[in-house]
Formats: sequence, C-alpha cells, structure tokens
Amino acid sequence: MEKSNADTKDSKKRAGSGNSAVIKSVRERFTEMLELPKDLVLDRPKLTMIGNRDLMIENYKSVLEYDAGILRINTGSGMIRITGSDLSIREITSEDIVISGMVRSVEFVDAG
Amino acid sequence: MKFLLFRLWNYLRGYVIIIIEGFFIEKFINICARRRIHLWDVRIQRERRVTAKVGIGGFRLIRPVARKTGCRVRLLKKRGLPFVFSKYRRRKAFFAGAVLFFVLINVLASFVWSIEITGNEKLDTVFLENALAANGIKTGALKYRIDTRRAVDRMMLEIGRLSWISINIKGTKVKVQVRERKDIPEIVPRHIPCDIVAQKDGIIRQVIAKEGIEAVAEGDTVKKGQVLISGRVPVKGDEKYRLVHALGTVRARTWYEDEAPVMFTRTETLRTGRVIRDHSLVLFSKELDLVRRKVGFSEYVTDEVRKKLTIGDDLVFPFEWVTVNYYEVATMEAHISEEDARETAAREAYEKALGRVPEEAEIVKENVYFTEQDGKLTARAVLECIENIGIPSRIGGN
Repeated sequence: MEKSNADTKDSKKRAGSGNSAVIKSVRERFTEMLELPKDLVLDRPKLTMIGNRDLMIENYKSVLEYDAGILRINTGSGMIRITGSDLSIREITSEDIVISGMVRSVEFVDAG
Repeated sequence: MKFLLFRLWNYLRGYVIIIIEGFFIEKFINICARRRIHLWDVRIQRERRVTAKVGIGGFRLIRPVARKTGCRVRLLKKRGLPFVFSKYRRRKAFFAGAVLFFVLINVLASFVWSIEITGNEKLDTVFLENALAANGIKTGALKYRIDTRRAVDRMMLEIGRLSWISINIKGTKVKVQVRERKDIPEIVPRHIPCDIVAQKDGIIRQVIAKEGIEAVAEGDTVKKGQVLISGRVPVKGDEKYRLVHALGTVRARTWYEDEAPVMFTRTETLRTGRVIRDHSLVLFSKELDLVRRKVGFSEYVTDEVRKKLTIGDDLVFPFEWVTVNYYEVATMEAHISEEDARETAAREAYEKALGRVPEEAEIVKENVYFTEQDGKLTARAVLECIENIGIPSRIGGN
C-alpha cells in the first residue's frame, strides 16, 4: 500500500515538473514488472527494419510530412524522421505503416 | 510470400490507381488511414503529387476526404478481376460456355477412363482387368461407387497368385500395382524322412551332407532323379536302416546349350516411303471413322498411334485420336558376309542358351562352336555352370 502511494506521488511530481524522460511512470514500471509488451500498453511504436530498404512502423500516430527524400511520422515516442531516397508508403492502415525505398537515417527528433 | 498473397487478394477484390494532387497530401493520407480506407503503394510522382492504390470500396469513400483536405483525386487505372468481369458481363454465351466447360470437366472427371496395371509377370493383364471389372473397376465406372478396399480384399481372396495388390484412383486413372507370389518348390516337412535327389543331370563337384549319408562323390556323373544324399542311415551291426530327413547341398557342374543356324542371306522388309494414314476418333468406347481409304499396297506394315486427351498424367478423358499408318514395304534379300553371319548366329545361340540358365546358377565357362551338317552351318553355345542340384524327395513316396 505504502509503496503504491509513493508511486502515485512520484508520478504527480513528474507531471508537475515535466522531468518525464528520467523518471519512469507507474504504467511503465507496471508493464516492466508484468513483462507486458510495451508497444501495446504504453502506446510506443514498434519499428522493424529489413536492411535499409524496408521499414515497418507499428502503432504510429500520423504522417506529418511526406516527400521522396523525407518522411516525418508522429508516434507515441515523439516524432520519427526518416531520410533517404525514393521513399514510398507501401501500405498504410490506421495502426501500421510500411515504408520502402533507400533509407539513410531514422531519427527520433524530440523523444519523450 | 505475404506480399504475393496480398497482391493476389487485391487483384481478386479489384482496385484503382489514383493520382492525388494538393498541398495537404499528408493530411489526406492520415484521414484515409483513420477512416480505414486502405491505401497502398503510395509514391511521390512529383512535387505535391502522388499516386496510390485503393480498393474499390475505399475509392467510394475517398471523395469526402478529398473535399475536406482540398486535394484533387483523379482515377488513373482500374485493375483486378471485378473490372474484367464487368467487361464481359453482357456476353452471356461466353459465360454459359465457361460454366459448361467446368461442369463438363467435373462430370467427365468423375468417371474412370483408364486402368493401369503394373507389376504383373505371369498373370495376364486381361485376366486382371476382368477380375477388376468383376469388382466394379472398369473404364466408364463412376469413381465414387468404387470401393477400393473391398476390391483389394476380394482380389486377394480370388486370385491365389497375388501376394500384394494396391488400387489407387488418381484423377480419372486407376493405378493397380500387383506383386506375384514366387513359385516355391514342394517342401518336405522337417519331421518326414527324405532323400536329396538330383534335379537335373550333371557332374558332382561338392557334396555337403548335414544330415543323411552321401550317396555320390565328387566327379560322379549323376542323372536326374538319382539319390545324392540318402535318408537311409545304416545302423551298425544291423540290417535295418534308420530313416532321417536328409539335408545338405550338392553342387554340380551342369551344361546348358542351344543352337542357331548361320544364315548367309537375310530377307529384309524396307519401307518404300509411301504411306497412307487413316484417322479415327474414339469417343468413350465407340470408334468413329473419319476417313477410311483403300490401301492399294501389295505389301505393307501397319502401326497405330493412339493419343488420349489428358490433363497432366492422371486426368484422362474418354476421347482418343487414333491414326493408323499403312507403310508400303518391299522385301529384299540381303547377303551377309560369313564373318557377320557367324557372329550373329553365335550371339543368337548364346542368348538362347543363357535363357535356359536358372537364376541361382553360376556360369563358369562359355563356349560357342560351329558344326556343319548337309552343307548347313550351325552355331552351338554351351554354358557350363555350377549350381545346387539337390532337392528333397520323400523316401518311398513320390
């Protein structure tokens, strides 16, 4: 009981201070304790890359920018910037996006 | 693999290729994703202009999205089976034909149209076919009526020579594989006294008696039926005999020979090159003549080419195209040099003699010589073998 109390206090403090990158949330601790898949519980994206040609992002939020050389995608872990050439969206559903083309970099721009 | 299936699925469902132009293409894509309008193969064509593929159902929902985001959507191409069908929708005869085709194939494929029997050596194929027919397996029989298991059981019971049979229906073909029982010599039961007697003439090379008394020695010439190992064992100091079941092997030299005449001329029939072809069509089991011409050749040989309509190896249909070729021939006598003639005769004699040698015999010497009688030359081949010639025979019995 005491411990969970402390946890909630902790998360409140975090929300107040905005120091979220360092302190783990209750949810995160909880999912780690129970070994639940983080991408589902914490709404984090799951990236799968095959070589530098195919990139699949599961659990994305939205496409922010799309051009042949750059793709910016909003996810639960912040914005992902993908640069390369000849980039195309092979498939897009409300949860997953499959990108193909020559990928040069995958960057987390403002990781939260 | 996954993408192959995906593409096939899209082809079956039908899709369209569209061009989207506008400043808020990202927004367009996001709204489509949120509204579960499935887009794929989204490619930048040039600045602010992309092509994408979308299903038929999705395409109907795309107009409001385009209006909302201020994008212009144009249809570029229609792809997939539904569009192919809509093109042919009015052609009723075509569809009727396609349906009829499938129905016909299915109807025809539910009958047995050919029977293939393999593995029989002494059993006649026709005999086996008749036996199969008695169990309901014949050409023209409905496949679903055939109970292969019952047929296998019945055949095994009815035909004593069979040691194994398998019946499989593949397509319109029934594949029957058989194995035959080997002829086994009459075996004298172990507890009954017997002699070992000669199966054939020969000169003894080795006698090994495991039970009984050796009646012949190495070098003896024996005739067929002669006792080689006796089952009558004399009792010392007595007139009586003790009867045993003789056992052992008797290896002997045996000879097999045959002859062939040496022929210096050979009649040859040569095709002159003139040929008449007759065609006919066999439907089910009725033969329809298409052309029947008179064959004006004085001498001819014929052959028949039968072509069955099949799909693959196993789906045989009851249509057959038969071509009968009549080749005109001319007979000619050809002279052969003596050397060639001798060689041919020698080979023939050798082959014939070889055919007489039983399987288990070991050939130790081969000889071919020529004899002349009344001006005729004959080749004789003699094969000397070593083999076991002893077989058990009951004492006092047959």
